[in-house]
Amino acid sequence: MDSCDYIVFQGTLAEYLRRVEAGELASKLQASHAPPCKFQTAAAVISGINNVVPIVHGPRGCAQSLRGARVAGCQYRGRPYEPTLCTALDESQVVFGGEGKLARAIVEADRRYHPDLIVVMSTCCPGITGDDIEGIAEQLRGRVRAEIATIRSEGFGGDFRSGHEDAFRVIVDLMEPPKETIPYSVNLVGARVGPSYTEVREDIQELQDMLGQFGAKLHGVIAGGCTLAEIKRAPCAAVNTSWCFDWGRRIGLLMQERFSVPFCESGLPYGLGATADWVLKIAEPLGLLSRAQELIARETERITPDLEEARRLLAGRRALIETGPMRAIALARMAAELGMQAVIFNMHPYTLRERKEAIQFLLDSGENPEVVLTRGAFEMGSYGASKQTQDEMEALIGDARDWVYFGTPARFPGVPLVNLATEIGQPHFGFTGVKNIARRASSAMRHAHRERSGLMRQAMYGVAIHGDLF
Amino acid sequence: MSHETQQRKCSRDGAQVGSSAQSCLDPYLRCAFAGAGKTLAGVLDACLVLHSPQGCHGLIGDALGSQRVDFSEAQVVSSKLCETEIVYGGEERLKETIREAQSYGAPYVFVMSACGPEVVGDNIAAVCEAMTRECGVPIVPMECAGFRGNEYQGIDLALEKLLDFAAREAIPKMPRSVTLIAPHASANPGWPADLAWVRQVLGEMGVTVVSVLTHKQDMQGIARTPAAEASLVLSHDAGGRIADRLAEQYRVEPICRDLPLPIGLTNTKRWLEALGERFGARQAAEGIVEEGHRQVIRAIRLRGPDIAFYHRVEAAVAADATIGIPFLRFIAEDLEGIPSCVFLRSCPEPARELLTRELADLGLAADVALNADAYDMKQGLRRVRPDCIFGSLTERHLAQELGISYSFRVVSPTGRFHMIDRPYFGYDGILTILEVLQNEHQDRWLSRAKRYQAMW
Repeated sequence: MDSCDYIVFQGTLAEYLRRVEAGELASKLQASHAPPCKFQTAAAVISGINNVVPIVHGPRGCAQSLRGARVAGCQYRGRPYEPTLCTALDESQVVFGGEGKLARAIVEADRRYHPDLIVVMSTCCPGITGDDIEGIAEQLRGRVRAEIATIRSEGFGGDFRSGHEDAFRVIVDLMEPPKETIPYSVNLVGARVGPSYTEVREDIQELQDMLGQFGAKLHGVIAGGCTLAEIKRAPCAAVNTSWCFDWGRRIGLLMQERFSVPFCESGLPYGLGATADWVLKIAEPLGLLSRAQELIARETERITPDLEEARRLLAGRRALIETGPMRAIALARMAAELGMQAVIFNMHPYTLRERKEAIQFLLDSGENPEVVLTRGAFEMGSYGASKQTQDEMEALIGDARDWVYFGTPARFPGVPLVNLATEIGQPHFGFTGVKNIARRASSAMRHAHRERSGLMRQAMYGVAIHGDLF
Repeated sequence: MSHETQQRKCSRDGAQVGSSAQSCLDPYLRCAFAGAGKTLAGVLDACLVLHSPQGCHGLIGDALGSQRVDFSEAQVVSSKLCETEIVYGGEERLKETIREAQSYGAPYVFVMSACGPEVVGDNIAAVCEAMTRECGVPIVPMECAGFRGNEYQGIDLALEKLLDFAAREAIPKMPRSVTLIAPHASANPGWPADLAWVRQVLGEMGVTVVSVLTHKQDMQGIARTPAAEASLVLSHDAGGRIADRLAEQYRVEPICRDLPLPIGLTNTKRWLEALGERFGARQAAEGIVEEGHRQVIRAIRLRGPDIAFYHRVEAAVAADATIGIPFLRFIAEDLEGIPSCVFLRSCPEPARELLTRELADLGLAADVALNADAYDMKQGLRRVRPDCIFGSLTERHLAQELGISYSFRVVSPTGRFHMIDRPYFGYDGILTILEVLQNEHQDRWLSRAKRYQAMW
């Protein structure tokens, strides 16, 4: 395969962003890579609030997409079973309007479940027929015990990011002006779905612990299993920071604008330099710089042996990074710290456009890794595209043996693979994350001579025609 | 009057519930769009074009999984409607998407319309007609917006349209033949194994399966459906409508409709005997029953019977009608338990009659809720306080909150990974269920902590 047959773009992130903005690299269809709709992402954020009852104003299929996540919350996040209600609109209600049914549903939900908060979420049908969900909510405020919020979350109404952002905006609307500022207190903003796993340690827990280690106090995780009361008093925090820069940025800036809570803006705490930046950006406005520097020195010493070993094995090589866009940019910086030359693989133009502000911030901070985009990126979503991308990656690597792939073991790049998917040794954020990734990278290099699983490769990429593999 | 025969509680039927309750539902079932997807994903070689926003794709992902479609063979594209298409119409976008779908080379394309385009009035039928001419392959419209009903109604809706498209004329009857209807409206997480067992026993009775509506079925097979002498619906939740229509339009005789599906010893025996009777294969049926019975006894004897737990234990059955109704006799007769409450996620009219007959025949006065949502389940469990639940993952969590000690995850979703499809139907099915129950029973007793530390 000749590279000009499959490479659509190769250059720096800054140049890539410029060409996307100029419309030279637009995706073929709108929202071509993102499976969830606006409703689903808004629902994920709302699910991060405890004792909330979402009322999905629409047919029952939309509610089911949320219900699965909520039952998973019972399974893995230690949550009680909480309902996912819907008005189950039928044909006649679509024709004649479903406002009456929605009003009855709100009253009934309040009576049955005694929630702190009811969130009405509109779906495609009422979005088109024009049901006045805000009007219904207004009529019932004060007549039911629960507070009521509404989100215009029609699936067609925007890309997946708009669901996150509109839901966070609703959460900010629920907040109360601060009566005091609690010293050293920090909100982690931009979380969703619910509390962290009970059995597997997550990135967010690592960050919470890090805050405590330099004298900061965690005030709330919005919305990662928080209560309505915690949301209301969130503006009492001394500062906000995010655990995922992209998701947290909008709510952080909104709270800064409305309640003057400073937002500590930095990239993902991924890699030694980025983690140190993250800690210092929080510590500085809190007046905790010296304690933060002590923490950084202490932790750097702790992880140095693993980091040095990784550097010894990886320095001078090229890193091919295939993950989500924000994580990929952060990893590129980490790879550079390990003495590698980083190349981000198939960061989709759509995803770049949607995250433009966040990516521009990182560019302004001096991060400008190389990006390669292949034709497979434009076919995302089908098996054929995935196979095409695999073939293109193999062609890109060719016979060069200096590459190291950072991503999922679902790829078979033919070079050492740093497994970023395993939960062994989680998290990836913070100092412990640096140690964990360094250990995975060292393991990848030490075992690079081993064959990959033929079984799994055939399952992933074998030619299949009606059940006859190979 | 004995405890068992006292009429303890009348049914709480969704159809009779007041409007306020119906306005607020925590549903187990998906929408018609998802059900139609389940049906169409069972047609071999077909390409699905979803005329919908991108979120509806998730429902089809579930349908593909349910029908065990190899992800490398799935041919699904979406028109990914956004605000522009909703305001100005999405017909052009649909045409563009059909052209993209055509590149897969599928011999048939089904266009499934979701809520948005149906509400704004995209003329899907006209687009399909025009694109059929342009592409040279049949582009079949399927108006199946989510608001048209629940997933079982969606299955029925798609089956009817599919038959309208594929089977347009009566063809000569094939002797001793049957069409199998809607096997995937079942909460057995390994339902294809049920279908395989049915095919096997029909084969042993010398009965030809003309078509399966639908599972890995090509369009030619669907077109041959009117040639079947009889139809066998493998669900109490869906498929009845199409069986009636086949009877009316093509004289395809519905059989075994008044019997619970073959789960448990008695149900399996009755069902096989009815089939044997209908197809003049009584001896073959008796042979299957005898051998199957022996096989179950042998397996239990070799591994040790576990009856101690279930004897006169009050049990809740929380399932779909397909699994829930046959389970009543299995629990009451084979396990010696007492089904004291029955909560069914759906229950169309013929299944209601069957349920009533089964309860009466078994002398059970169970608390019954039909078309139950999760609220009904929790309220019912709180009211009845059974000793154990035969249900899904959801009821397991409800049981934890209510202090009900045992919850057996026998119906979807179970939260367990299933690499191999295992039947609930027939004799292997009895062993499958016993295995699930025994494993769950043992899990309940597992130590989560050690009382003291080892010395080494």
